[in-house]
Amino acid sequence: MKMSTVVRTTTKMVSPFLVTYAAYLMLYGHMSPGGGFQGGVILAVAVILLITSHGYAKVRRKFHFNWASLIESSAGVLLVLLGLTGVAFGAFYANFLPTEGGIILPFNVIVGLEVGAAFTFVFYILLRWVESD
Amino acid sequence: MLPLMVASPLLTAFLIVLLDVLHAGKRAVQALFIAGAILPIPVAWLSGGGSEIVGGWPREAGIEVALTEVNTPFIVGELVLFTFVSIYSLQYFSFRDKKTPKVLALLLLVHTGLLGAFIARDFFNFYIYMEIASVSAFALVALSKESSAKRAAFKYLMLSLLASYMFIFSLGLIYMETGYLNAELASRTAVPSRELGAAIAIATASLLLKAGIFPLHSWLPDAHSRAPTPVSALLSGAVVKAPAYGMVLLFSSLPVGETLRTVLMGTAVASVFFGIGMALLQRDAKRLLAYHTVSQMGYVLLGIASLNFVGAAYYAMAHSIFKGGLFLAVGSISTKSRELGEFGYKNESVIAVSVLMLSLAIGGVSPFVGAYAKGLVSSGLSDGWKLAVLLGTIGTLISFTKLNYYLMRGQSPSLLPAWKLSSFGLALAAFLAGLLLGTGINLKDALNIAIAVISFAILKRTGLLEKRVRLSSGDVGKEINVLVAVFVAAVVLLLSLQ
Repeated sequence: MKMSTVVRTTTKMVSPFLVTYAAYLMLYGHMSPGGGFQGGVILAVAVILLITSHGYAKVRRKFHFNWASLIESSAGVLLVLLGLTGVAFGAFYANFLPTEGGIILPFNVIVGLEVGAAFTFVFYILLRWVESD
Repeated sequence: MLPLMVASPLLTAFLIVLLDVLHAGKRAVQALFIAGAILPIPVAWLSGGGSEIVGGWPREAGIEVALTEVNTPFIVGELVLFTFVSIYSLQYFSFRDKKTPKVLALLLLVHTGLLGAFIARDFFNFYIYMEIASVSAFALVALSKESSAKRAAFKYLMLSLLASYMFIFSLGLIYMETGYLNAELASRTAVPSRELGAAIAIATASLLLKAGIFPLHSWLPDAHSRAPTPVSALLSGAVVKAPAYGMVLLFSSLPVGETLRTVLMGTAVASVFFGIGMALLQRDAKRLLAYHTVSQMGYVLLGIASLNFVGAAYYAMAHSIFKGGLFLAVGSISTKSRELGEFGYKNESVIAVSVLMLSLAIGGVSPFVGAYAKGLVSSGLSDGWKLAVLLGTIGTLISFTKLNYYLMRGQSPSLLPAWKLSSFGLALAAFLAGLLLGTGINLKDALNIAIAVISFAILKRTGLLEKRVRLSSGDVGKEINVLVAVFVAAVVLLLSLQ
């Protein structure tokens, strides 16, 4: 499935901005509207846009299925480990960072990666059924 | 320390998925799986009870978790059951199938969800963990190789999710009315009002569906009998207990009307007898056990509706142990065919002893744990309801006489040692738990057994047990529509009662 040149060029230009926006949402989620989940979803949309315009086969060469799976599962592990680190400072998910927002910043980044990878992953699996190009 | 009980299986579940992506060996995955299954036990032991706020936040803002008199039996039952299920699963799911590490991770997620739901003292946190357990359960049912498993999983998914949405809606109403999601803080500010009444009615109806109580049970026999054996044991033994605990949370903290409670007690008794009646008519061994879950959950609801939460909790624990054991034992000898009369435990003495012990336990015969739990549930009831419990006990015994009658005559293929070990382990647990809780030997039980055997002989003579009942039609969509209509009717009924 391949769309017209206009669509392909536009999505190529928009995608990097989406990734930047996703990074912004994750990094400033603790001070402004946003957060990990929203950032992650936009991160996944950047990849999904490319898949719908360029086709699954081409995108898969750059963003491997296994990478998505790897990022997703390691983000899950990191999320629990972040909570476990808090145990050393008194309680599960205790706020041990002295920075503004504390552990919310790393938490948001990890959640963003988890959600982004998981959505991409789900989209890859659904596309396996839909098309086989 | 308490949140670590939930964190340890969650961490190992993610680690298993990570190792699977990295193509790690079978041994590492198995070791992690066992670690995730066992670790909550020492953590629960070390934490020593009491309540705690996650992350050290103030109580109004944080999530409270606790080990109390009421939820400890739920947790003990779950931990005992999951330990044996995990031993069983290691030999059940072979690593020749590429999906096995994912299945093990999903089992650990069910474990996480159940433990998280049982330690929650907060409505929203309870909801989240119950959902983690049920979403993993949908996937596990669908993974079965049997042809109709996908349909059963789909039906389970649609109905369970519908109930979840109704439940979260009612949590919103409770938050609006009381200003808290913490069960104890909400109970302080709760005043009876129409909105709160509506919220309680909707929440109760959706939890009844998720707990598989008659007349909202119809997804349960399909899902529980079609799933792989260890998953069936976990579903029947523990997953249906999470909504029961939700009802305990709800009823212990919010004002529930007298009429609603009486109707719920009636529903509970109807569920007990309906489950037994349908079980007597089944020819599929696992389906028979699944209908007994409908019947046994009736006793748990009877305890909750009579505000006897400790009794309900102990009944839930007892049911986790014996029903899990029955599913493991019967499931392991019925790998070829599940039709009663085509298989049995004639050549497998360990399984025979376990099934007999567990049948006595589910029938409430002393000194097994079932007798203690039944005594505790009926202690808070008036005489009329006590009679219902007694009749239910005899009905259960008749049904299990039938099961053992057929199993005694058949042969089974040779079994793996872990399968026998885990079935027998749970039978032993049912016995030891009964002894530890101080159940004496009651001679009246012999009379119950005698009545049950005689009734079974009479029923067998009349030929009533040979009839086959098929209720399911061809179209799964139509079935779901009917069930949703029943659910909506139940919601409306409870709304008008509250």
